Amino acid sequence: MEAFVSLASGLSVAIQPMNLLFALIGVLLGTAVGVLPGIGPALTVALLLPITFKLDPAGSIIMFAGIYYGGMYGGSTTAILINTPGESASMATALEGNLMAKAGRGGPALATSAIGSFVAGTFATFGLALLAPYLVDLAVRFGPEDYFALMCVAFVTVSATFGDSPVRGLTSLFIGLALGLVGIDILSGQSRLSFGVPELYDNIEVTTLAVGLFAVGEALYVASRRHVHEEKLEAVRGSLWMTKEDWKRSWKPWLRGTFYGFPIGALPAGGAEIPTFLSYATEKKLTKHPEDFGKGAIEGVAGPEAANNASAAGTLVPLLTLGLPTSATAAMMLAGFQQYGLNPGPLLFAEKPDLVWGLIASLFIANAMLLVLNLPLVGLWVRLLAIPQPWLYAGILVFATMGTIAANPSPVELIMLTVFGVLGFLMRRFDFPIAPVVVGLILGPVAESQLRRALSISLGDPMVLLQSPISATLLAIALIALVLPFVMKGLGRFKAVED
Amino acid sequence: MSQLRKSLWRGALAAAAVAGFVTSAAAQMELKIMAPAAPGGGWDQTARSMQQALTQAGIAKSVQVSNVPGAGGSIGIAQLVNNSKGDGNQLMVMGYVMVGALLTNKSPITLDQTTPIARLTSEYEAIVVPADSPIKSVKELAEAIKADPAKVTWAGGSAGGVDHIAAALFAKAAGADPTKINYIPFSGGGEALAAILGGKVTAGISGYGEFESQIKAGKLRLLGLSSPADKATAELPSIKAQGVDLEIANWRAVVAPPGISADEKKALTDAMDKMAKSKEWQEILKAKGWQDSYLSGDDFAKLLNEEVARTKEVLTAVGLVKS
Amino acid sequence: MSSQQRHIDVAGLIIALLLLALAGVVWWDMTKLQLLSPYDVGPKAMPVIVSIGLTVLAIGNGIGALRGNLPDRERLDWKPIILILGGLACLITLIAVGGGFMIGTAILFAATSTAFGRRAFLVDLLIGAVIAVFIYLLFAKLLTLSLPAGPLENLL
Repeated sequence: MEAFVSLASGLSVAIQPMNLLFALIGVLLGTAVGVLPGIGPALTVALLLPITFKLDPAGSIIMFAGIYYGGMYGGSTTAILINTPGESASMATALEGNLMAKAGRGGPALATSAIGSFVAGTFATFGLALLAPYLVDLAVRFGPEDYFALMCVAFVTVSATFGDSPVRGLTSLFIGLALGLVGIDILSGQSRLSFGVPELYDNIEVTTLAVGLFAVGEALYVASRRHVHEEKLEAVRGSLWMTKEDWKRSWKPWLRGTFYGFPIGALPAGGAEIPTFLSYATEKKLTKHPEDFGKGAIEGVAGPEAANNASAAGTLVPLLTLGLPTSATAAMMLAGFQQYGLNPGPLLFAEKPDLVWGLIASLFIANAMLLVLNLPLVGLWVRLLAIPQPWLYAGILVFATMGTIAANPSPVELIMLTVFGVLGFLMRRFDFPIAPVVVGLILGPVAESQLRRALSISLGDPMVLLQSPISATLLAIALIALVLPFVMKGLGRFKAVED
Repeated sequence: MSQLRKSLWRGALAAAAVAGFVTSAAAQMELKIMAPAAPGGGWDQTARSMQQALTQAGIAKSVQVSNVPGAGGSIGIAQLVNNSKGDGNQLMVMGYVMVGALLTNKSPITLDQTTPIARLTSEYEAIVVPADSPIKSVKELAEAIKADPAKVTWAGGSAGGVDHIAAALFAKAAGADPTKINYIPFSGGGEALAAILGGKVTAGISGYGEFESQIKAGKLRLLGLSSPADKATAELPSIKAQGVDLEIANWRAVVAPPGISADEKKALTDAMDKMAKSKEWQEILKAKGWQDSYLSGDDFAKLLNEEVARTKEVLTAVGLVKS
Repeated sequence: MSSQQRHIDVAGLIIALLLLALAGVVWWDMTKLQLLSPYDVGPKAMPVIVSIGLTVLAIGNGIGALRGNLPDRERLDWKPIILILGGLACLITLIAVGGGFMIGTAILFAATSTAFGRRAFLVDLLIGAVIAVFIYLLFAKLLTLSLPAGPLENLL
């Protein structure tokens, strides 16, 4: 109950006209920056730090919160419309979202993403206000062995992105795992698969790979097929808004996505990518319209988008309660706190309650603001697809390359983008699924390093994986998820014989 | 128009005469500062803070910050040495981390090839244990590591980084084999801190700032800082004063390209001297919680050489650098 | 292309060989690593798994190719691909030699739109340049990011 009183007083801080203005500037900047691949919310907050130095602490931190949420929104907009995920967390959204946009259903896709983000953001912010102290206890108890077990669950479930052929899906995944090896191995400090090129020491950037495979690869593929297959994009087919059916198919994925995103986002090494993929896989399993997956299923947008936003609120749990920055943006917000001499951590809630609750309340405001701003814009965004095809794809390539060099102005990064573009083209031509490559790049290094940490701590005893209750439970879930489909199939056959 | 310009020029000359010639020459300075890291990180923040202080204090007319990220600064330093040779207006931010990174990455460029200008800030390493740990002092930790280095697990930053080096030096000073330490690198941010708070490891080692709020909240116990013995206080005990000879600081500094003239070097050093004393810089240091450890000229060059030699020795001992 | 039931797919075989080559590179790179920490399974374990996995998958893909069960493909039109890759190559080269990103971006824009069938190279070059200037102002002036500069950027 105390939390509600505090939240109410926080709201009174956040709705002061000046703070509302900061929130508005924040969400606008965040959205603008989020649409550029490579330039994420973290970079924006970093670059704005010196400017906001002159503002009062509450105002500037509220603005950062706006940038954070706005960035999440912007990233999904480009993922849906032009298949260019603005950040790795919007990758799962691009899978079905872009297919929907191509089928003239960009409007509902953007709407379900906007409303889903709002719903998830609101629930997750409530979660932040009420559960933060309990969640954080669980979060620090999560050890390397538990993360490894979580990765096992993720590996099993992402097979949902494999498409029809297991051999092709696994081939894509292993290409991703091989790419994940590139760079300095964090545990031993040695470089792998870098061939002495210093630019490769820092591992392959997920956005570079995703933008190369998705955006550049697709531009090459569509261009090469123009003579046989004129791609006709209709900006709007059917309703621009979500129909009753769309709502019916969206609300459960929103809630499930929130349920994945918030707790995993709260884990110190959780991140936003894993919950989005878990959500995608779940929706694909549970949908009543499995035939739509691969053609643009609204569940595949609603779930991951909710998960994405909920995890953003989740990362604030360890940041505010422990001072643990678990994402690049959270690290920048921490720097933002510190420049006012505020140290997020166990004492912040006690020392500066008005500021903390003001921030939490401003998250609500930022969320509502984004919804109000974005829904009317859906019609405008969708019109982007009406741009003549040559200009649309030329613009996509310019966006993709600019985002890449703004984050890292080196020709090597652009060469990588181009190589991944060619890879994406070849994979499309020979019908290999693309998402598993990125999944391999994201999950591979995490799984490897967490397992090695766990084994280092246990002095090489693999039993550590079963001794931790969290890890044992997660491994059991992974095993069931792996075996169950075969068992069901066997049972089905058995029954058929019996009949 | 030219009349106006002439009178402006005359005014400026008069002002220069009042302020002294050196000030005016410095105020004409158009500096370029390279941060050999992506925007947002520590080196980038240092570069941008310098930009703020230098322009606001009127020491330089303009300061341009550029980022050349990659490989712990190896790419940045290569660009400084190869492309900016003899450019008297170029500076690069660097730090102790780069000393180790250049060695482990087998960089063909070394710090000898740059012109050292000044050290700006330092941060001491802190060794912490969870609040409920049976280990209460540096001495007990030293005994534990001497008894069995495998059983003492350390959480800290990347392999070959300052945390790793400090842990190895601690083991050596405690009389244990530094190659046998069970050091577990975490990827930055809060991951290492979470592992320490969760009691997954025996001890944590990182910059004091990473742990400060947890120590104050009583969730972590500070065993000691890697500061000189005479700097120890009751709240911030030094490791050295407790009998383990470990002194190390994670510093940040600026260097210039090779091949600049003595005058140019002096102008850059003067500008840094002035910045370090300026009110603007001191305010930034306070806001960011950075410790001032300004050191310029030959003293800094000497320190840099010593640090390179010591780091090489440690990294060779733990096997990251082949001798 | 798939008129015969059991048609050996040459492209599929090449893919299998490429996967095998990748597996070999991963393995070769692994042999150069050292085990440093006595408690960690070491940096070699993962490359070994990846390399073995890729080898198995190369065999799997090879069998698929020999059976000819790869999906049908249309004839490839190389011209647009070369145009787009050429545009990207121009941009990379210009940045590498210090020509700045604006000219390169304009060329990339025009080359891509030509690849998609437009016949107005000069107009598109201009549009690309305008976009580049806009992006430059946004990044360099508002966000104070340094983009690779050349003669044109220094004028602004």
